[in-house]
Order: sequence, then structure tokens, then C-alpha cells
Amino acid sequence: MNIKDVMLSLDNFPVIRESVILKEALEEMSNKKIGIACVVNNDFKLLGIITDGDIRRKILTIQKPLSSIFIDDCIDHAILSPKTIDINDTLELAVNLMGEKRVWDLPVVENGILKGLLHLHPVVSALLRK
Amino acid sequence: MESKIVTVGYGKVKQVKIGDKLPLVFIGGPCAIESHEHAFKMAKDIGDICQKVGIEWIYKSCYDKDCRSSPTSFHGVGIDEGLKILSDVRDEFGLPVVSDFSDSTWGASTGEVCDLVQVPAYLCRQTSILRAAAKTSKPVLLKKGQFMSPWNMKNSVRKLEAHGCNQIILADRGTFFGYNMLVNDMTCFPIMATTGYPVCFDAGHSIQLPTSMGNISGGQREFIPHLVRSATANGINALFMEVHDNPDKALSDANTVIDIKYLENILYQAKKVHELRLELLEKLGPDNVHPKK
Repeated sequence: MNIKDVMLSLDNFPVIRESVILKEALEEMSNKKIGIACVVNNDFKLLGIITDGDIRRKILTIQKPLSSIFIDDCIDHAILSPKTIDINDTLELAVNLMGEKRVWDLPVVENGILKGLLHLHPVVSALLRK
Repeated sequence: MESKIVTVGYGKVKQVKIGDKLPLVFIGGPCAIESHEHAFKMAKDIGDICQKVGIEWIYKSCYDKDCRSSPTSFHGVGIDEGLKILSDVRDEFGLPVVSDFSDSTWGASTGEVCDLVQVPAYLCRQTSILRAAAKTSKPVLLKKGQFMSPWNMKNSVRKLEAHGCNQIILADRGTFFGYNMLVNDMTCFPIMATTGYPVCFDAGHSIQLPTSMGNISGGQREFIPHLVRSATANGINALFMEVHDNPDKALSDANTVIDIKYLENILYQAKKVHELRLELLEKLGPDNVHPKK
């Protein structure tokens, strides 16, 4: 069992273009019921991520109307150098990285290109089944 | 966002560049085209003043005023006669010209003649108008609706861009403050400038009291110089004002056009304040107060 077998495919988590406005990014996160969105360019190069937690912290910090934040390009609110896991790495390494960084999701990349998303719960289930 | 520069003027007229740290540009003229003779007189007289002040300008006048409050108000000379007059002004004075258009089917003809096409504030989110403006392939002067937040103007910008337009000037003409009253939110300039496009202050319409006179709009012209100084110090790339040689007899927006006798004084101040602002930017660098992240 490796990362490729457990990760969510690109259709099953929020993957958005950099020019999408933040409101649409949040809607996509709601639709897919996942608190992270990966921002990519047309070649699916991972540019950044947006998470529920980042937006929560911004709402508490940014002193501007919510309607103004919604219309911003989502990339303006993205973490631009997110932690990622290579598609050829092991699940054990991924779990350790999640624990170390205290995150539940890791974008899966291959040479910088987004391939999927590793979510903690399926990873734990897979490791328990081993 | 990198600052974009908009170039206005095709063919034999003088090209005017607007944006970034370039000199302030004046966009002005009588609100409505009243006659061939009047258009020429205004082009000549305003041109003389602009030359004396040392400011580049674009001649503005409209052929159809479609947002009059009263059915009996002057509506304009019409598209055919109006565009002919604007074309003649271009040829005679070598000036770039701008007119708005309020019907999407008029876009193509307007763009054939005008160097800059204007989207009226009331129509700033109408997709058909924005598409028609973009299709002219001419730069677009996009007025912020009195009902719009400055950040929501990004939607209108994106519509223009989606139809191939990347030469846009965003203008503020005031924001509704209750009924029959406008105010200027001076933060709208830095907010609209985050699009990268040049920003413009429409001083005349900002002092308008919309439909305050029952079936026409009023206006407090005395505030124009104050607002012009405020906006130029704030940071704009172009100044828009409608000018008339006899405002009380103007066929359109009589209560908001500025008398030409005041123009030199106002333009001189605007130019000086703009230059001082650029000097301070050069000396002190860009503003270093940033929003919380």
C-alpha cells in the first residue's frame, strides 16, 4: 500500500485555478466537504493551498469587509510554499510529516505537479489494515 | 499587481498615456454634444487652457444622454451626428476623443470613431455593454456605479478582460449616501488601483445631487476644487470634469459642469498636487503602512 493507492484523486478534493475568487474557492471546499483547496496553474503546478484554518485566522485579523475579501483572487490568500509529499514517498513518512506539522492533509506532488491529496483518515485506515 | 499604462489615441491624433507615475491627464469637455460650432469652440478653448497649464487631455462629449430623469430633457444630438462631430474634432484639433454609449448596439460605431469608449456608471455591470465596449478594441473608461463598492468593480474588470480588453481606466464619480446625495470614498482609488489599471476621478459628477431637483439633478459645484485637491493628493492618474462656457445654459448636467472660467485654476492645482505627490513618492518611497495579513 503506497501513497498513490490511498490519496484522493484530483476529482475528489478542491483543485482551483489561481484566478478563482476566494468566495468560489470556499464554495468548492464546502462542496467537496474538505477544508483544504489546492491552487494550481493550467499545467497543474501546485502554487499554494487555502485551508479553513488560514481563512479563520484571516477573518479575525484582516480589517476589511468580508465582501471585499470574497472578491480577492484566491491566490492572494493562499499559503504559497505548503508542505507536500512526493507521490513516491511512504505512508509512514507522510504520517510522520502530518504529525510534525500538525496538519491533516498533504498535497501529493510529482516534480511540482499536483497528483492528489493525502488525507489523514484514509492513511490511518490503510496502515491499520496492513 | 504591476501598474498598467493605458494608451489613448489612434491614427493622426496625439497619443496620451495614462497610468503609473506618468503626468496627470485631463479628460473633459461639455457633457453633451450640443452643436458642431459649440463642440469646436469648447475644443479650442479647453485646448488653449490645457496647453497653458501644460497638461495633456482627451476631449469628452456624449451624443446620447440616456439617463435623463425627465422625458423632456435634452437627450442628445444622436449617434450619427454626434460621432460625425467627434470625428471632426479629432481631425481639426488632433485630439483623442471619448464618448459613452448606453446601448450595446452603439458600441461598434462609437469605437470606430472614439479613441476611448466610456461605460456609464449606471451600466457598469451590464454584461452586454461591457462586452460591446471590449469588442471595440479601444481602451475603456469604466465608471464605478454609484451603487457599487470599489472592490466589486473587479467583477466588471474581469468581464472586460474576458472579452479581450486589457486597456481599462477605472473612474470614481461618487457613491450614493442615502437618497439624492453622493459622497466620495477616497479609499476607492487605492482599492481600484489593486487591479493594476489606472484610476480616474470624475469631479463634476461627484458633486452631483442625483435627481434632487425633482426631475433633474442638482449639484454643488463649489466643492469641485476641494475634491480635486483631495483626489490628486490621494493618487489618481486622470482627472475627469465636464466643462461648459455657459453652465446655466448647458443642455445637459447644467448643475454639475464647471464654468470654463475656473478650469485653468483647477487644472493648475491638480497638476501641481499630482507632481508633488510623485516627488514625495520618489523621495520617501511607496507607502509602507500595510494591512494586517
